Amino acid sequence: MLLSKTLRSSTLKLAFIYVLVFSSGVFALLGYVYWSTASYLYERSDQLLNIERESMDDAYRKTGRDGIIALIGRRSGDNFFSDWVYLLTTPTYQYVAGNLGTWPRALHPEPEWTTLVTLHPEPANTGAVLRAASRVLPDGSHLLIGRKIEDLHGLLEKIVTVLAWGAGLFLILAAAAGISTSRRSVARIEAINATSLKIMRAGLGERIPLRGTDDEWDGVARNLNSMLDRIEELMESVRQVSDNVAHDLRTPLTRMRGRLEKGCNQRLGVSQYQSLLNDTIIELDEILSRFSSILRISQIEMRNQQAGFHDIDLAQIAREVVELFDPSAEEKGALLQLLANEGVPVFGDRDLLFDALSNLVDNAIKHGGDNNAVMIEVRRGASGPVVTVADHGPGIPADERKNVLKRFYRLEHSRNSPGSGLGLSLVAAVANLHGAQIEIADNAPGLRIELRFPPPEKAAHQRSLQALAPSP
Amino acid sequence: MVGARRILVIEDDAETADQLVDCLQTSGFSVDLAADGEDGLERARSADYVVMTVDRMLPGIDGIEVIRRLRDEGVMTPALILSALGEIDDRVRGLRAGGDDYLVKPFASREMLARVDALARRSATVVKETILRVGDLEIDLLMRIVRRRGREIDLLPREFQLLEYLVRNVGQVVSRAMLLQHVWDLHFDPSTNVIDVYVGRVRRKIDSGQAYPLIHTVRGVGFRLRAPE
Repeated sequence: MLLSKTLRSSTLKLAFIYVLVFSSGVFALLGYVYWSTASYLYERSDQLLNIERESMDDAYRKTGRDGIIALIGRRSGDNFFSDWVYLLTTPTYQYVAGNLGTWPRALHPEPEWTTLVTLHPEPANTGAVLRAASRVLPDGSHLLIGRKIEDLHGLLEKIVTVLAWGAGLFLILAAAAGISTSRRSVARIEAINATSLKIMRAGLGERIPLRGTDDEWDGVARNLNSMLDRIEELMESVRQVSDNVAHDLRTPLTRMRGRLEKGCNQRLGVSQYQSLLNDTIIELDEILSRFSSILRISQIEMRNQQAGFHDIDLAQIAREVVELFDPSAEEKGALLQLLANEGVPVFGDRDLLFDALSNLVDNAIKHGGDNNAVMIEVRRGASGPVVTVADHGPGIPADERKNVLKRFYRLEHSRNSPGSGLGLSLVAAVANLHGAQIEIADNAPGLRIELRFPPPEKAAHQRSLQALAPSP
Repeated sequence: MVGARRILVIEDDAETADQLVDCLQTSGFSVDLAADGEDGLERARSADYVVMTVDRMLPGIDGIEVIRRLRDEGVMTPALILSALGEIDDRVRGLRAGGDDYLVKPFASREMLARVDALARRSATVVKETILRVGDLEIDLLMRIVRRRGREIDLLPREFQLLEYLVRNVGQVVSRAMLLQHVWDLHFDPSTNVIDVYVGRVRRKIDSGQAYPLIHTVRGVGFRLRAPE
């Protein structure tokens, strides 16, 4: 099955194209190597022949036909000229001197030296391949000189064999590499496919395995995995919302229903009815506001990243929050202290940041205990803007700190004080949207919550991304 | 203010429409009802309304589209958008299309009335006074000075803005969300009672030791600044 997929895959087609392109390149290269080697060897051999032609001509000029016979005689005794052939014949091709038996039929001598030709063996002769030239001497005799080029041919043949083997090996290797690359890709795609199928069948728990090779495939797998993480997160938050709605809204609704039923069944006075209706409306309003808080948090969590963000001053927002909460703090006997000496620019949504900071300050005032001093600090931290809200209340035990960011989570000791348990999860949603980290720490005594925003350069990057995105 | 102040209600849900009409008529408006966007467009073009309320989601032409088309045609009747959709992005979209105010369903009828009143007043009074007077209270918008019975009262800038908004809407109920929107330029519902406490502080500065109180709390809705008859 994998093989048929391999054959179908586009990667294999690509591999074939590569093999084709590379092999034509390699063949061209090998052909050139052969051609240049062969022509070099021939050239060397031909040069020697040309020199020998001149020696013959010289000998003839000095002493005529006898000079040539003498030269041929000398050459036959010379080891250096062992692979040379000579033939001197009468004008009617009768042998006069030399080490070649008969005149080759393919050779037609002319008054001047003929160009060099390659002569294939004739049974009557040496049986060797010759490179030869011939001429008619002024007295009518025919002269042939030549060289056996057997070994040159043998060398070239060897080169051809080597090149052919090399080319064959190259083709096999290239094909193997193409197929294995293609199979690897297909295997990765198969893995991704298999995981998708599993996810469709069983749920979002599955992840695509990484090979740790850090290549593009790992990149694709990683991105798909983080996409799955994000989807799972969103699904989880949807599930949480419905759980919370069921849990936290059903209780008061049941209570209200009971009250209305009681009102229906009992005969009450007008004023009693009035107060019953009033109470019901107040409670209903509470439920509605809680409901819209849940929706608001979900909306922030699912919101289009950074849409509607601007450059704003965190310090200014903190000043306005402190100003808004100053009367409330005074009423509770708490003191609000603001530490914000310089402008602290962030890229964000003013409404949301105001809301988040309001929640933190409101919590700090409410839970800060007696003689409470709430400190709100806004500063440019080393790695980005930081907002700190600290109080001197009971704080949050270390093992509870993770839970307080969840919706409707309320600490045991504050369960009976007013509040929806949604404040910190709103803060968490807003922080998350702004790429900020929440740190919940001990103020010894009290609670200290820090929002650490990403550095301005990163925000600037996000801003440029936003500028690139099409406006809604 | 005198005479029939006509309001156009564009709302497709019959029961909600009934409640709206009932509530508006009780407060002295004369109300026309349109059950879909087409009808709403028709009516808004042909008659002179002080305010219209527009449901966000309507059969046929969408509420935002209705407002956009009216604005394109030059019909500037103030529009209060009523929507069951979420507030964050949708509010912006609604206001961008030319809506003047935005209210998320479900809402208290008095909150709706307060906003309609504010829009109706806005279309009626565009007076450029520099000194506003209510009873023995006098606020000088240029000098940023507040006096009661001639005695100057010290207010913080934000407190001054809040008082100015109450005075500009004298006699009208102003909700907490409206205050947050117009005084702080914030568009969300504070879940706590900060606004009450804040108004409380302004009230102490304005009303304590005076012959009669000016700032009144309207239970379940918000506040109203009013001099005795």
